[in-house]
Amino acid sequence: MDKQKGRGRFVFFCVTPAVVLFVIFMIIPTLNIFRMSLYKWGGYSKTKKFVGFDNFIKLFQDPKFFQSFQNTLLLIVLVTVVTFAFSLVFAAILSREKIRGQNFFRVVFYIPNILSVVVISAIFSAIYDPNNGMLNSLLSLFRGGDAKPILWLGDQKIVIFSLAGAMVWQAIGYYMVMYMASMASIPESLYECASLEGASRIHQFFHITIPLIWTNIRTTLTFFIISSINLSFLFVKAMTSGGPDGSTEVFLSYMYKQAYTNSSYGYGMAIGAVVFIFSFALSAIVNAVTKREPLEF
Amino acid sequence: MENKKKNSSGETLYKIFIYVALITLAICIIVPVAWVFLASIKQNSEFYGNPWTLPAGFYWQNFVNAWTKAHMGEYMLNSVIVTALALAILLVVALPAAYVLSRFKFRSRGLLNAAFMAGLFINVNYIVVPIFLMFVDADSLVRKMGGKPFFLNNLVVLALVYAATALPFTIYLLSGYFSTLPKAYEEAAYVDGASYFKTMYKIIIPMAKPSIITVILFNFLSFWNEYIIAMTLLSNPNSGKTLPVGLMNLMKAQNAAAQYGQMYAGLVMVMLPTLILYICVQKKLTQGMTLGGLKG
Amino acid sequence: MKKVLSLILAGSLALSLVACGGAASSSAPAGSSAPAEGNKVLKVAAIETAYGSEMWKAVAKAFEASHEGVTVELVTDKNLEDVIGANMKAGDYPDVVHLATGRPAALTETLIKEDGLEDITDVLSMTVPGENVKVSDKIAGGFTDSSLTNPYGDGKTYMAPMFYSPCGLFYNVGLFEEKGWEVPKTWDEMWALGDKAKAEGIALFTYPTTGYFDAFFYALLYEVGGPEFFDRAMKYEEGIWQTEEAKAAFDIVAKLATYTDSTVPANANNDNFTKNQQLVLDNKALFMPNGTWVIGEMADAPHADGFQWGFTALPAVKEGGDSYSYTWFEQCWIPAEAQNKELAKEFIAYLYSDEAANLFANTKTKNDDGTEKLSGAIQPIKGFADTLEGDNKLFYAIYDNGAKAALGNFAATEAVEGVNMADTLFGTVNSLVSGDKTEDQWIADVTKVSDQLRAALK
Repeated sequence: MDKQKGRGRFVFFCVTPAVVLFVIFMIIPTLNIFRMSLYKWGGYSKTKKFVGFDNFIKLFQDPKFFQSFQNTLLLIVLVTVVTFAFSLVFAAILSREKIRGQNFFRVVFYIPNILSVVVISAIFSAIYDPNNGMLNSLLSLFRGGDAKPILWLGDQKIVIFSLAGAMVWQAIGYYMVMYMASMASIPESLYECASLEGASRIHQFFHITIPLIWTNIRTTLTFFIISSINLSFLFVKAMTSGGPDGSTEVFLSYMYKQAYTNSSYGYGMAIGAVVFIFSFALSAIVNAVTKREPLEF
Repeated sequence: MENKKKNSSGETLYKIFIYVALITLAICIIVPVAWVFLASIKQNSEFYGNPWTLPAGFYWQNFVNAWTKAHMGEYMLNSVIVTALALAILLVVALPAAYVLSRFKFRSRGLLNAAFMAGLFINVNYIVVPIFLMFVDADSLVRKMGGKPFFLNNLVVLALVYAATALPFTIYLLSGYFSTLPKAYEEAAYVDGASYFKTMYKIIIPMAKPSIITVILFNFLSFWNEYIIAMTLLSNPNSGKTLPVGLMNLMKAQNAAAQYGQMYAGLVMVMLPTLILYICVQKKLTQGMTLGGLKG
Repeated sequence: MKKVLSLILAGSLALSLVACGGAASSSAPAGSSAPAEGNKVLKVAAIETAYGSEMWKAVAKAFEASHEGVTVELVTDKNLEDVIGANMKAGDYPDVVHLATGRPAALTETLIKEDGLEDITDVLSMTVPGENVKVSDKIAGGFTDSSLTNPYGDGKTYMAPMFYSPCGLFYNVGLFEEKGWEVPKTWDEMWALGDKAKAEGIALFTYPTTGYFDAFFYALLYEVGGPEFFDRAMKYEEGIWQTEEAKAAFDIVAKLATYTDSTVPANANNDNFTKNQQLVLDNKALFMPNGTWVIGEMADAPHADGFQWGFTALPAVKEGGDSYSYTWFEQCWIPAEAQNKELAKEFIAYLYSDEAANLFANTKTKNDDGTEKLSGAIQPIKGFADTLEGDNKLFYAIYDNGAKAALGNFAATEAVEGVNMADTLFGTVNSLVSGDKTEDQWIADVTKVSDQLRAALK
């Protein structure tokens, strides 16, 4: 009986500080976003006007919002697929093969992830520069010096892919390390058996490695969704400011634009509410679709 | 070991291929990062032409200017304080919570786990203004009661906000690790008569060291590089800034002459501590990353 | 030279210009006529631009010297919105803010939409501290007549005009001399020059960011339809964008887009816009729309051999037509929530004293490399531009050379969610250059936005 009480007290003291901080600094502000999305307010004056779901109705008639929606979705899919493929393959190579300098590669690949977005945007504006950029200089070796420069950040059909390139560059190492961590726990004996039976590397990769780290992969998919939404904003803010002509506007950059520069704070918060619901729903869908019986080893 | 001789030519080709792939990616990362270092010792006039030319000489003055004129030295101290404090608060709060949430059964556990999981979806970029407005109200309340407002422009409060917003991810990561530990350790400790608290900090937390290091690295990176919350909560220009906010000030603003050299020196100053810390702890990084599934 | 101002006047508005005598005399004796204010703190926040922040410090000090017991608490920052915006949300307002409209963060616009500015019409009839002149008699004509100072069009002034600068097209005189080219007087000559330059691999046009089209497009609207047409457009009059005049302006910009260096949209953002300006310095493009600050902004950049800045108003629409240069100026205002409004008004009146004007123009500012330059901010005071020397003389003399001054901008509206005229009217130029949108789509978009904003006019 006494033990039970002490246990309850212990649980209470361990959990309470975290819950209090979490409620004050995350739950309440989030609820405030939903509340403010029902008001028309410019951000400074004392008068807030309750307008019900007006902001949401306008939102769904706003072509620029749909463009930012489309861009965000495209970035989520593109960055996830490309980063996922690269980091998984590199993780498999680095943990399965005997490579000289394995440690070196592991360290180097992670470096982009520790850089501030400000540094990354400085790097990529030098890489994507139309005249002197690294990418166009390299390409001109193949295309001939007279070819028209490719406008990585200027051509509206390309620019979103240029952003995706920078985001992939930044993210590969992070996910690679995550996959390596879980690959390390796969028993070596499984691979030895498979090799004895004559299974090729590719076969092993698809039939041993991937199924055994499946739980981990599902988790990272959720991370991909959350971080793509967040990082796409930081990258856009630093690299293109949403341009040219709004063609790289994403969810949060459009939200900031409306809330802070178009005197439509309530409208911006409505976008924030939609983003929250969207990312939640998308993760739930992805999670449900990828559900498999967990394999034990 | 198992490789058969007859495969060896295919094997060599395969090896060459993976080395090419690895080295290509490594170059794609090293060259641009090295470029930032080189750019930081260029003179201002060298920034207008081809960005890939080598610096004409070592212009260390950039660092001196950034350190003194742009107050990056002072900002770095602020950043160190905020980051260290936020990490301390985070660990003190998150470790017990993660431990209890992953290894104790109690009534509201499912709800709390679900809530923290949902917290992963809350984006700091849009809750920063509601947080700010909350502090504004709190400050004016304090003022009304005759006190001195202290919520805004306060490094400690900033550290608290950092710690709070990092909670969901940290608890998630730590819980994943805690739940892989065998029950036997605690049971043995209880048999020996150790209290819950003692068991936690003597037995469990030391075992979670790799995971804790991972948590420290991840959160160090995000606190150190963060600027949106810092910019909003440290709005009084006299109350000090953190390094990334100072860096944003160095960035060119339209209609004003740009100080590229200082800016890149500032970029290096922001980047260097993270690089050093990462290289120190990178060996431990993979060990600590055990992620569970997304279960409530 | 005294005509400098007259041109500004000529451009817009009917205020008669009195001679500029005496205005150039040096600073008034400090302290003589200052009222005792007791121990007061005046919070002043000013944006730091290419002029530097030294001049503001000097002005603040001089104001303190002439006003006993007053302490000026000065904040200057390149991103002033970030610094004061948060505090203003918190109810902590500066007493005087110097921050122009048209900046990306649009803080001033937001306050206009929210009725957050103090009416300062009475400042105009105040006496300039230390002098015996009324403020309204010192401010050059026309400056307090447009929506830039009277945003609601009700004759009341909410923003004081500051630091003016003619906007127009910048080019390299050296290149024109070397090639034997003439600076075009009409747009037809412009296109002819564009074809000639193209043959030599030089683009006719570049722009830093599309934001710079505001001054350009406003001047163009004056050219195609005159001041009265401009006013109608600024009030979002129905059908105005379908008129022949508007069509002529749209046509010119659309055609200019085809003559623009194709790499420009790639760098037309806050990070890389200097690369677009560099095109002129490298003789890769002939003209760019800009303001006088560009010279300081690009001072460190490599210039082509024989480079010499040239500056011209927009070419006329047709032979003998009017040629316009937009007069860009910044604004200074008092937040409605400010604590020390009376003292703030006194401070604004003081900004038009000869003493302050001198400090704004001639405060020594250190460059990064240790060299010194003058701050060079020019107050819109009658006759003041006559005292200028060097490069500045060239720019401020533009109105002497036959160009008329264009002033004003769009009328204030309530906030309309998701709708922004600047983005639509100017931002689309990037799409015209890259060919992603046609002129017709552009006009349709502008019309739609104009319709939405008309409904929200204040």
